[in-house]
Amino acid sequence: MAPEPPLLTMSGITKSFPGVRALDGVDLHVQAGEVHCLLGQNGAGKSTLIKVLAGAHQPDDGTIVWRGDEVTLRSPIAAMRLGIATIYQELDLVEGLSVAENVYLGHEPTAAGFMVRGRDARASTAALLKRLGHGEIDPARLVGDLSAAQQQIVSMARALSHEVRLIVMDEPSAALDPDEVDNLFRIVGDLTADGVAVVYISHRLEEIRRIGDRVTVLKDGRAVAVGLPAKETPTREVIALMTGRNVEYVFPERPVRDREETPSEPVLVVQGLTREGEFAPFDLELRPGEIVGLAGLVGSGRSEILETVYGARKPTGGQVRVDGRVLRPGSVRAAVRAGLGLAPEERKAQGLLMLESVTRNVSVSSMSRFSYGGWLDRTKEREAARAATRELSLRPDNPSVPVRTLSGGNQQKAVLARWLLRGCRVLLLDEPTRGVDVGARAELYTVIRRLADEGLAVLLVSSEVPEVLGLADRVLVLREGQVVHTAPARDLDEHRVLDLVLASSPHGPTLAKGLHGPATTEGSPAS
Amino acid sequence: MPDFASRRGLLFGAAAVSAGAVLTGCTSNESKDDDAPSDNNQAVADDKPGKKVTIGFAGPQADHGWLNAINDNAKSRAKKYEDVTLEATEGSNDTAAQIGQVETLINKKVDVLVILPADGKALTQVGLKAMKAGIPVVNLDRIFASAQAYRCWIGGDNYGMGLNAGHYIGEKLKGKKNAKVVELAGLDNLELTKQRTKGFDDALKNYSNVEKVARQAAEFTVESGQSKMSQLLQAQKNFDALWNHDDDQGVGALRAIKQAGRDDFLMVGGAGALSAFQEIKQDRGVLKATVLYPPTMAASAIDLARALGQGKGVSGMAEFEIPASLTLYSAVVDKDNVDQYMPTGFK
Amino acid sequence: MTQPASPARPITEKSPPTDGDKRPWWSFVVRADVRTLSLLGVLAALVVIGGITEPEAFLDTDNLQLILTQASVIGVVTVGMTFVIISGGIDLSVGAIVALASVWATTVATQDYGFAGILFTAVMVGLGCGLVNGLLIAYGGMVPFIATLAMLASGRGLALEITDGKTQMVTVDGVLKLGERDSYVLGIPPLVMVFAAVTVVGWLLLNRTTFGRRSVAVGGNAEAARLAGIDVRRQRLYLYLLSGLCCGIAAFLLIVLAGSGQNTNGNLYELDAIAAAIIGGTLLSGGRGTITGSVLGVLIFTTITNIFALNNLETAVQQIAKGAIIVAAVLVQRRTATT
Repeated sequence: MAPEPPLLTMSGITKSFPGVRALDGVDLHVQAGEVHCLLGQNGAGKSTLIKVLAGAHQPDDGTIVWRGDEVTLRSPIAAMRLGIATIYQELDLVEGLSVAENVYLGHEPTAAGFMVRGRDARASTAALLKRLGHGEIDPARLVGDLSAAQQQIVSMARALSHEVRLIVMDEPSAALDPDEVDNLFRIVGDLTADGVAVVYISHRLEEIRRIGDRVTVLKDGRAVAVGLPAKETPTREVIALMTGRNVEYVFPERPVRDREETPSEPVLVVQGLTREGEFAPFDLELRPGEIVGLAGLVGSGRSEILETVYGARKPTGGQVRVDGRVLRPGSVRAAVRAGLGLAPEERKAQGLLMLESVTRNVSVSSMSRFSYGGWLDRTKEREAARAATRELSLRPDNPSVPVRTLSGGNQQKAVLARWLLRGCRVLLLDEPTRGVDVGARAELYTVIRRLADEGLAVLLVSSEVPEVLGLADRVLVLREGQVVHTAPARDLDEHRVLDLVLASSPHGPTLAKGLHGPATTEGSPAS
Repeated sequence: MPDFASRRGLLFGAAAVSAGAVLTGCTSNESKDDDAPSDNNQAVADDKPGKKVTIGFAGPQADHGWLNAINDNAKSRAKKYEDVTLEATEGSNDTAAQIGQVETLINKKVDVLVILPADGKALTQVGLKAMKAGIPVVNLDRIFASAQAYRCWIGGDNYGMGLNAGHYIGEKLKGKKNAKVVELAGLDNLELTKQRTKGFDDALKNYSNVEKVARQAAEFTVESGQSKMSQLLQAQKNFDALWNHDDDQGVGALRAIKQAGRDDFLMVGGAGALSAFQEIKQDRGVLKATVLYPPTMAASAIDLARALGQGKGVSGMAEFEIPASLTLYSAVVDKDNVDQYMPTGFK
Repeated sequence: MTQPASPARPITEKSPPTDGDKRPWWSFVVRADVRTLSLLGVLAALVVIGGITEPEAFLDTDNLQLILTQASVIGVVTVGMTFVIISGGIDLSVGAIVALASVWATTVATQDYGFAGILFTAVMVGLGCGLVNGLLIAYGGMVPFIATLAMLASGRGLALEITDGKTQMVTVDGVLKLGERDSYVLGIPPLVMVFAAVTVVGWLLLNRTTFGRRSVAVGGNAEAARLAGIDVRRQRLYLYLLSGLCCGIAAFLLIVLAGSGQNTNGNLYELDAIAAAIIGGTLLSGGRGTITGSVLGVLIFTTITNIFALNNLETAVQQIAKGAIIVAAVLVQRRTATT
């Protein structure tokens, strides 16, 4: 980097919320024209820091120097006026407005001070979209009709519609397929070439390696490394900084299968399960202690299969049997009663009661165990919830705290604890480590493997091929709603799986949505 | 018994009281040339069948005892006459809906219209339209904004109601030092409530020993009457008289009075509900009188409409034509005359 | 970060308690949330205002009985409404159900069956309307706002149809007596006892039963509740039944109070009940709310009405004050919620 005065210097930023010190004297220095990566586990303080930078939170202490002047960012508008734009992970677009209206929301080009010049807005929006490589998006379309990736582009267009010198991108690649990610990196390159600085947040270390200039690592509200060179710092060191320890073996070892000669009876049998238009007849036998992984692209039917097995979607054909008894199709309650449990893909939207305590989230599926004629024994409930969360080493070790205060990994553990408490026998995991950081992932893998060892049957869906290969005993590869290959995980590697997933696909690489190629993360035994 | 309560020889006072007793005497219009005009023998409507008349009737939704009585009075009156056909619309409180209903009646070419508007001002235009189309309009109670919109207005006297209630109470409390009076008003949003209160206050000014110490507004409903009255009773531990604007809410007020175990004052009601008349007749409780706001005005309106349709006048007046405006007298009904009014009481 | 989880350890129901567990029995006093305390503060302030402006009329037993009696009818409705709102719904039909139940239960035919007939009819009409609401919303897939709006319109219409706009006087002595002074037990009016009982049952139902838990879960995140194995639709049906039941009880109380049934009964109850629940801290979007807060909300409104009436102030002023209180309460809560 050229030795020019930094664009942004944040020093000693401190911010507390009731009961939590989210930021504790954090420093961040950003140069014009660089890609500065912000790393850290969930709960490390990344989102608080970028909200301070966006003017959405006011810091308790610390200074922000912007282009040589100390500034106070009282509101998001104040930050925007300075040229700081933020693209949040949860897109903040108005679905009922058009693309152009969203892009210029709050600073519409006007005539006579109040008449919105829609034509101007649409024209400049079209120009912005073209610059972002997405000239095909019609500025007049409703945002609600666009795909997630397109919405991301609109969000970016909105940021660029201001005079911008610094763009904060919070996990921008999470909703994108590899093609889109390439496009994103091209845009980032264009921006930095124009002298715009990018603060880039991602969980994917390989991305940081590809586009990052420097890295700042946050851990527990402190900056443990400031401005490390992104390309030269070994991944292992970055992980160590984030987690405070070296992750040598991410995946737990599979048990030695002496018992393979005497396989136990399958607990879950799926026969010819179909949903027309989503997936072809699907068969599966799942035995206690076994982890079966479903690998496939988004749209290959993997989540749909999982949800149909669980009864959350009604099948058009086929049946699901647990211990030989056929489940009523399309009934979640029947599935739960029979011993199925689902950790859904969207943890916050589908899995958790975010306003409630950990206890209540854990006990919600087992309330009859603590109630007599509808009357709850809350002491018993609390004890049981605590036992279940301890079993999974959920942190903090106090189930009375609201579940929303937990990190992603611990929230996932709360969902697992729910099914553990219920005494569930078949666990359906849909993207169990989405939004969970590297260190916590390893721990979740250990927990899942241990639950299997204790006799649970696990059906796992994941976009991350290494995860499926590393964790599952047996892998079913899905393509366009059909199982194209079944094999023990140890007989497969990532390239083989990718070949199977993509092979003879008529749509070519555009289908490669939501699948992350071979991870460069060290310590992954599969690579 | 003060004078105000008596029925003078006013034109429709009697009509307000007993159906059919009013429009008497008849000679045909054609005969008027033969007789001296001063003989007061112009053609007037009577019970005998005459020219067929179709009367269109549009009233508001009968969600309240008094309004229901209006509809009943109009319908039963019309039924009495062989020569009258009544085209009554479904009652509506929605101005737009009522305008539509009146327009339908105009299109049907009824001979005369009787309209009790949900909102007098808002229905003025459609009244004008009917008049222009040559259909005389009898405007019932809630008055149009323009006198051109009706041929004849007939309605109650809200100010007079308050006035008569005030005088009745004033006379009853004569000689009592520092007499206290309480008022339980109706829905405060309505102009008629303000008029009643104004009349009541004006009447009380004549009695220097009487002072109005409290006023609360209910909503013409039993529930609100009970609620507001119980609060008033709690606020005023002793007073001498109470005027309640409306006998419907009076049911609730009487309930509150009973619940509070109070009987230390006299109560005067308003409107003329049957239950109030019965209470007055039994003379066991606090309710001693009620001031009329007679729903029989609807019956009179039908009479007027019939007379208009037949091109006749009404008896008891020297003029050939029926008057442009008729304000009914708000008689005070108490134990002495309640029997006479009993048949007009509404439920 | 923690070490990788230790090897399997069986789940025992008894594990050593953490600090969060050692709560003295009186801790609920301390834990009463800021919101409830602020409502109590408002109520206390009102009592002071009432006591200063009208010391004689305000501060006596009669007036306390009066305030509580006046709060009873709308209070019972509000308890039901609170459950519905907590579950993420809304019931705009409560006033209409009260009206319909109160007129149905006071027809001449019903009154022939005496006390029991009136009570039974009121409750059954309430439950019936709640059932229709619940079926339309839970199984018919209708939006609560629309379904209950339709019930509001048709309920009011049917009530008018039954009464023909007439006031139906109650002639059953037992019912009338219940609203009069002779029936007070230890100075407590029977209506207030019913209100208290409904409040207590409502509180227990919300805080101590699976029903309450499920209601909150459905309101907080219906999809998560469904995937956790809760029968969301059945729960919704039960909730509107509960609201209907409360309306039926309230209708009976109103019959006792007013000694009659009228189709105008329950006028704007839906707004009063929603307002009371909201100032009581119930989240309009669902997932959070308390019975205590709602009941305090009702008491605050009733006390304001009482103070204004005792001070002989106009209805218009009362309405303005009511609006101001709603805004102030919500603002205060937003503040306490964010700090």
